[in-house]
Amino acid sequence: MTAPKPRTIQVTVNGETITASVPDRKLLCDFLREDLSLTGTHVGCEHGVCGACTVLVEGRPARSCLMLAVQADGRAITTIEGVSGPDGSLHPVQRAFHEQHALQCGFCTPGFIISTIAYLEERDPSAGPVSEDEVREHLSGTLCRCTGYTNIVRAVCQAAAELSES
Amino acid sequence: MSKAEESADVAASVAEQPFIGQRLPRKEDRRFVIGKGRFTDDISVPGMLHAAFVRSPHAHARIRSIDTEAALKLPGVVAVITGRELAEFTSPFVCQQEGAAPMEMDALPVDKARFAGDPVACVVAVDRYVAEDGVDLVEVDWDALPPVLDMHHASDPGVPLVDEKIPSNLHTRETHRYGDIDGAFARADRVVKAEFRSQRLTHVPIETRSVVATWDEGREELTYYGAAQTAHILRTTLADRLGLSENQVRVVSPDVGGGFGLKLPLFREEFTVAAMAMRLKRPIKWVEDRLENLTASNHARDDAVSVEVAVLNDGTVLGVRANLWADFGAYAFYPPSYIINVIGWLLLGAYKIDNYEYTVNVAITNKCPAGTLRAPMAIVTWASDGMMHRVAEELGLDPFELRRKNMLSLDDQPYQSAPGYPYEALTLREGFDETLAKFDIDAFRREQADAAEKGRLIGVGIASVVEPTTYGSAWYKASGDDGSGHEAATVKLEPTGAINVTAGIVGTGQGYETSLAQVVADALGSSPANVDVRLGDTYIAPYGMGSRGSRGAAAGHGVAYLAAMDLREKVLGIGAHLLQRPAESLKIVNDEVVTRSDVGVSVPVREIARIAYNDPTSLPDGMLPGLEAHRTYDPPFMTFSNATHLCQVEVDAETGGVTIVKYRVHEDAGTLINPMIVDGQVHGGVSMGIGQVLLEETRYDEQGMNVSATLADYLMPTMDTVPMIEVEHLETPNPNTPQGIKGMAEGPVQGAVASVALAVQDAVARSGGRLEQLPFTPSRLLGVLRASRSG
Ligand code: FES
Ligand code: FES
Repeated sequence: MTAPKPRTIQVTVNGETITASVPDRKLLCDFLREDLSLTGTHVGCEHGVCGACTVLVEGRPARSCLMLAVQADGRAITTIEGVSGPDGSLHPVQRAFHEQHALQCGFCTPGFIISTIAYLEERDPSAGPVSEDEVREHLSGTLCRCTGYTNIVRAVCQAAAELSES
Repeated sequence: MSKAEESADVAASVAEQPFIGQRLPRKEDRRFVIGKGRFTDDISVPGMLHAAFVRSPHAHARIRSIDTEAALKLPGVVAVITGRELAEFTSPFVCQQEGAAPMEMDALPVDKARFAGDPVACVVAVDRYVAEDGVDLVEVDWDALPPVLDMHHASDPGVPLVDEKIPSNLHTRETHRYGDIDGAFARADRVVKAEFRSQRLTHVPIETRSVVATWDEGREELTYYGAAQTAHILRTTLADRLGLSENQVRVVSPDVGGGFGLKLPLFREEFTVAAMAMRLKRPIKWVEDRLENLTASNHARDDAVSVEVAVLNDGTVLGVRANLWADFGAYAFYPPSYIINVIGWLLLGAYKIDNYEYTVNVAITNKCPAGTLRAPMAIVTWASDGMMHRVAEELGLDPFELRRKNMLSLDDQPYQSAPGYPYEALTLREGFDETLAKFDIDAFRREQADAAEKGRLIGVGIASVVEPTTYGSAWYKASGDDGSGHEAATVKLEPTGAINVTAGIVGTGQGYETSLAQVVADALGSSPANVDVRLGDTYIAPYGMGSRGSRGAAAGHGVAYLAAMDLREKVLGIGAHLLQRPAESLKIVNDEVVTRSDVGVSVPVREIARIAYNDPTSLPDGMLPGLEAHRTYDPPFMTFSNATHLCQVEVDAETGGVTIVKYRVHEDAGTLINPMIVDGQVHGGVSMGIGQVLLEETRYDEQGMNVSATLADYLMPTMDTVPMIEVEHLETPNPNTPQGIKGMAEGPVQGAVASVALAVQDAVARSGGRLEQLPFTPSRLLGVLRASRSG
């Protein structure tokens, strides 16, 4: 077995352009967590089911455990660390999770917040207010073992209402 | 004072507290929503190595030899160690159970693997990718043995021993008898039989097990970072098994991504990593992957209850005889009879039944070892309520009437259950009545009959949950198991008036940093914003028994409140001296000591703190400097809370799919510290119970291979399977605990298992279906419906 050769990639993470050398086989989640110390992206399964590792790649949600870092070459990535305002103010989705007690251990939370942001941003604003059923349909691909989802659904509805006003 | 007056008195004093009882948003949330939580895998230490484990591909196999040479040659691999080598410098864990054979567990197995996934060697390398490459290069020469997979036949003649140091695979068989059980059965008009069987499950915290161990060569000290629901007990075990003194080990439990009873014992992988960090004098990290988590951490719930109920024709229950079985898997992380015994002593549930006998049988098999999953006794409420429904069915009586007739009410309490447990301030019948007052059961029965006409199957289930929350040390003594139920806390008022709190409980998502701040703020007349809570670090926290069961509130918050009250007394003593008023006339409000009567006479707590630390000669004569209080608290023998759950379902007769239409809980956890957090605990527990009834299942094939090793095969509840859960509270304070706190967290699982199972049973009952085995998957439901149709 020979040691895998590193390759040079350039990625924009949370607005900052980074050049790094990574082995071909390194997962994007490991690259973010280990090489960039962005440990807010969590790994819950490494096989694409739990959604804890979700980040935005070019604005679209992606499971960073199913992507290699080299596949992100030339792309823009947003992680949970890039979600709040520059002054530290919380994004409406972050605030809604807090206010609705939509997190307990907080391990699934970054994945949920990123997925929620993507869902609400992609959603057609003319579709009217978000319903609980619609939220359940869109976010059922992310797992939480603590909350039973009741308060996550509420938080997403709150954030949706707030974002549609602004 | 009567008990009722005492309860009222507690309730009145609680009402005066500004923060206890408030739905305060959590203090800890901010770091989690911005991605700055600090979980074990987020910790990285310079020079850190990574571990990975070689695991048995067989359910049962002797290890002839392990060849590590090729792995050791791989660039980046630093060490490979086997169980035999580890045994040279570590001690095994010995699990004692009164009246049964002790069970030993080595750091890693030396001679034999006992289940598929059993770790047999550890590879340490520069990163995890290389460590896993190294694992592939380790050659184990196996001699496969026949696996023992059926608990009921584990001790049949000719079946090999799973643990060759104990006399039988049937580790425990014991019978407990209360009252006149033979007399009850002799007097009975009839005997009703029922069965309740659970599948094997596992915890699935979204954060898997993980550890970072570092060895400080200068101080000769081990630091163990890793989720530890019981950090101090883990420290004692680590020190003991590594031959270290307890003051050479520090356990730090950082943020934990869910525990659910998994992250309690010292697992072999984590222990091996600690031992290797010491040996190599290098920091080592191990993070379990999900496959390992599903196959080789701990499993649970592989148990079965069968009952015989002696009844009179009018629905009076004379006695119950139960036979309980548990498949405990391959090793004992806990005394094997411990969990199934809880089902035993709790089985009479909400009902007044005097004569009772139960037998527990625990088998050791070639499966992943069992552990304590949130509500280890999860099926107990399904069994106790379910047996009453079976009785009603056989006698042709209304089940809810029959349950009500035999159910405990406040008027019956204090009450001692047949196995000797004290029930106090439990609103079982009251909660049941309240639930039925809000749900028109007669209207539902009409709707159900109409639906049946149209081929639709709808059903309702109501569960009456008795949840044991807090075990006192007297309970441990009586059970014969080593251990204690006490808890410890330290509260410090610092020179600037800031408050620091620590206790022996360890959070895994319960919001302790908020709720502990609430109780301490109330005791000290401060605000939660001024109170910082640090838990889980054995350098900081006093030795406590950690977080397990539902002891966090009554034991952990109880003791913090008591410690803060001790400190309050000192603060008031200083205030009295400064203000020249008797201490009894003073109180603390908004961080100021004020008099209860005269306006304008006050001194800020901050000034008192300054004097206590920086000007101690101004303290009252004989008072020692500083403002800190430490104390322990041993809760009563057993504290209970209770709840009533109502679940309404529809079963699709074509697909066998179950939809939960309504879910409502009346919870009575006594005085609530933060009802928002309690609601969250109810939601999470109910979700887990729904998973147990409808989805989750750990499956082994005939060779003992785990065939549910990914989250695509092991189905957890998702957002579209769990309904909105409505929660209402009855708050009946417990007269014997600080502030009347009872605690809760496991009851919601019991309640959901029972109410969902009973609701589905109710939906299929008309077509003659009988459901005795969880989970009620679509294929099982279709099978039952088909069988009843053709039968
Ligand atoms: S870690 Fe990527 S989906 Fe679970
Ligand atoms: S909050 Fe713990 S997994 Fe979602």
